[in-house]
Amino acid sequence: MKNTFRGGVHPEEKKKLSRDVPLRLFDPKGEMVFPLSQHIGKPAKAIVKKGDPVLVGQLIAEADGFVSANIHSSCSGTVKAVEMRRVLTGQMADCIVIDNDGQFTGKESWAARDDGGTLSNNDILQRIQDAGIVGLGGAGFPTHVKLKPKDPDAIRWVIANGAECEPYLTCNDQLMRSKGPEIVEALELVLRLFPNAEGVICIENNKPEAIKEMKKAVGDRARMKVKSMITKYPQGGERSLIEAIAGANYPASQLPADVGCIVCNVGTLYAIQRAVLYREPLFSQVFTLTGEAVSQPGNYIVRDGTSFAELVEAAGGLKNGTNAMVGGGLKTDAKAVKALVGGPMMGIAIGSLDVPIQKQNNGLTVLDFDPVEEAEGLMTSCLHCGRCSTVCPMGLTPQLMAEAAELNNLERYEKKLYGLECIQCGSCSFCCPAKRPLTQTFKKAKGEIMAKRQREGGNK
Amino acid sequence: MDAGMMNLSSAPHVRDKWTTPFIMRVVFLSLMPATIVGCVVYGWHAAAIVAVSIVAAVLSEWLFNKIAHKPSTIWDGSAVVTGLLLALSLSPSLPLYIPIIGSVFAIVVAKCCFGGLGKNFINPALAGRCFLLISFGRIMNTFAVDGISSATPTANLAAGKAVNLTSMFLGTSNAVIGSSILALLVGGLVLWSMDIIHGQICFSVLGGFTLFIALFGGQGFDPTYLAAQLCGGGVVMGAFFMATDYVTSPVSRLGQFIYGCTIGVLGGLFRLYGSAADSFSYSVIIGNLLTPLIDTYIVEKPFAYRKNALRGLDPDSRKPRYKRIPKPVIALTVIAAIAGVALSGVYSMTKDTIEAQKEAAKLESYKVVAARADSFRAIEKAEEMISGSHENGVYGSGFGRVKINAVYEAVDEAGNPIGTVMSITSSDGFDGDVTIALGLDADGKVTGIAFTELHETPGMGMRADEESFKGQFVEQDSVLTLVKGEAKNDGEIAAITGASITSTAVTNAVSAGIHFYQNVIKGAN
Repeated sequence: MKNTFRGGVHPEEKKKLSRDVPLRLFDPKGEMVFPLSQHIGKPAKAIVKKGDPVLVGQLIAEADGFVSANIHSSCSGTVKAVEMRRVLTGQMADCIVIDNDGQFTGKESWAARDDGGTLSNNDILQRIQDAGIVGLGGAGFPTHVKLKPKDPDAIRWVIANGAECEPYLTCNDQLMRSKGPEIVEALELVLRLFPNAEGVICIENNKPEAIKEMKKAVGDRARMKVKSMITKYPQGGERSLIEAIAGANYPASQLPADVGCIVCNVGTLYAIQRAVLYREPLFSQVFTLTGEAVSQPGNYIVRDGTSFAELVEAAGGLKNGTNAMVGGGLKTDAKAVKALVGGPMMGIAIGSLDVPIQKQNNGLTVLDFDPVEEAEGLMTSCLHCGRCSTVCPMGLTPQLMAEAAELNNLERYEKKLYGLECIQCGSCSFCCPAKRPLTQTFKKAKGEIMAKRQREGGNK
Repeated sequence: MDAGMMNLSSAPHVRDKWTTPFIMRVVFLSLMPATIVGCVVYGWHAAAIVAVSIVAAVLSEWLFNKIAHKPSTIWDGSAVVTGLLLALSLSPSLPLYIPIIGSVFAIVVAKCCFGGLGKNFINPALAGRCFLLISFGRIMNTFAVDGISSATPTANLAAGKAVNLTSMFLGTSNAVIGSSILALLVGGLVLWSMDIIHGQICFSVLGGFTLFIALFGGQGFDPTYLAAQLCGGGVVMGAFFMATDYVTSPVSRLGQFIYGCTIGVLGGLFRLYGSAADSFSYSVIIGNLLTPLIDTYIVEKPFAYRKNALRGLDPDSRKPRYKRIPKPVIALTVIAAIAGVALSGVYSMTKDTIEAQKEAAKLESYKVVAARADSFRAIEKAEEMISGSHENGVYGSGFGRVKINAVYEAVDEAGNPIGTVMSITSSDGFDGDVTIALGLDADGKVTGIAFTELHETPGMGMRADEESFKGQFVEQDSVLTLVKGEAKNDGEIAAITGASITSTAVTNAVSAGIHFYQNVIKGAN
């Protein structure tokens, strides 16, 4: 097997900005905001009310249903309110707001390490569920659900995703460099759930230090290996990794487990190690603050609920300007035109930095230029050059899909062109010389098809 | 900046450096070698055609957008490429209004009227060229270098004549401005290596064409013949620059392969059995027209739905394996190879026989025109006499494009010379060459003529082979004059009604023979 997938693009990496800055824990001072819906699935149910005192790691909202996840406080203090606040999607959502006392008083028990050897599989899964762990790669799928496939014996590969193919982001690189043994320990715990599986730690070859550290941590373990992958976006996509490692492609209606794979981000694995061996819930994760507009790009361990603005301000603010926190928002005269939660390929653009960091957020990229605006001036009609088909990691034909979607021919879009297989990685839009908004069109088309299905389902 | 002031956009938020103008610029540059060679070989007029064509293309697009109240699109560079492609596919001796008309048609009718870049259904440059071919057929097929017009290599090839392969390859032959195969190949391969054009298209066009020509060209896999066919008539230009036009070629790899093969095969078909020089323009256009159909029905499935989607899960398939070539392809290749080898063999075996038969036919006709002769004897220094009296392959002046092929002495049973026989070809026939055998007696009087090559219009030019026309030449002994109506005086020949071109060609050929006898053969004796 070649250590890569078919298709893909090579955006500028820009990882140099922050790749060699070690991880640092950031303790915020301001109020902390915890949206109840941070994961795929049903929102959690708040179990605290205004005025309640809370400690670090205390359960403040409970999973509601099978696909849902617990939420824990990342600070100590008192609950200020349970109310609607603006979140990073730009919408208002139910949030628990905690007045941070700045002490970060936690439970003592985390310091004591549990011997994992005696734990049953159910114990492991229970602790992961209790800790509220969701996939930290971006999607936020509850991890305990992912680790409970129908037939655990059929799983042949547990893939630790350390590819970090998204441009700018470097926090997983730093995590692997500094926490290699912990990640390997977590992978061992997960492998206990899947007796026939092999652990494969996949790292893009632009991170030689991480590869070296992980190889050292793996040592001569029989069921585990480190694989150096070709640097190409979206190498870190679940499907791309599975194609590269297992040589299998599966339709959108299936899960990795259907082709014998479980994929976990290295950040998630680190959280699993903390959860299972220390019973520490998930309330913090690795995070890259980067971008041309940031004074001091770096890698952090951030607490959930921290405002992006506060982190930016504490990290030296934005470049070439004065920065100050005014009423919870960042006041600055620096040139910053775009802020992306995540990287530039799949990140979400936020208009304001005054929103809270959520569990699955792994970076903030602030740019002093807007590539999209620049590209819009260069847009022409589709040339049918076929570059989009060449780069599509799913083997789709984006130009025909866009044509069908623009003509509102959703029947052809879905049935003949398999439009719903699109993973919205953005490779087609990225490479399009005519600068067509392909991925964006597909998001809309998918939304329309889903809405139509729901309507029709409702009529029956 | 305050909260809520940053730009929003939907992912992805970065874009590649490639833009439409960039691609057009690269295509333009890749055509530069061919353009430069063309301008150097054919001179300033060729450069003027290129310049005029490009300017006309850009101006007409600008004007169209202006009139149609559309945003100007000339910055995308596609009009420049269209103008250049059109110019390169034109004869270097055309008057300058021709490329202007072509460019305007290409841009306004073929491109802008259908919605501009990306919406046209046929390649604009080719549409322009075909429009010119239909509307200005005579001028379009005039190829002149330094004022001397002659047939293009492709036309010669179609007529079964020898061509100069080296000059075709380098682009110094008598053809369109962009005819340097070497320069076109350099540009085309650069585009291919940059992934700007799809290999599936250009190589299947070349492959389909070569295979068709090899199978049906009658000369099998004779490399010289195939190379000559590939180097002529815009095959390389069509394969690398016309058929690969993004807008008018299919999307899927299989579709591109089918499209390329169709163009190649049709190009070969038209080349062998149709209008040889323009075969590729028309075959690419037909390919363009098939594209929407191909794109509707041939859509590649995503990886997950292809046959080998789960290949990695089967332990046996995890070993590295060479990509298997589909069996039908192997079978077809083998069949084609065998057929080609067989044809080559048959051709080389029968080549001598064919020559011998041609020779026998000549002898037969010599006997017709010199009935009393028993055999024919070579004349001393005949070769030198012929070559010495011809200039650029044309005999004398005033006879049109006439050529003396051979001359023999007719001898009787006793071996005494009784006259002379000649084979003479006039290239001024209505449909190609007219070759006659001419017999003269010892006094230089015509004993008769016979046709060894005549393919004129039946009922018109073909009537030259009737006794009423042929018979007029008997006993003539001077340069002849063709008259309409009745021939009253000696030295006059009555033209065939409605076939003056054929009549002139035959009369000129006979006159040239008499002139050759009187001035060259007699002079030598």
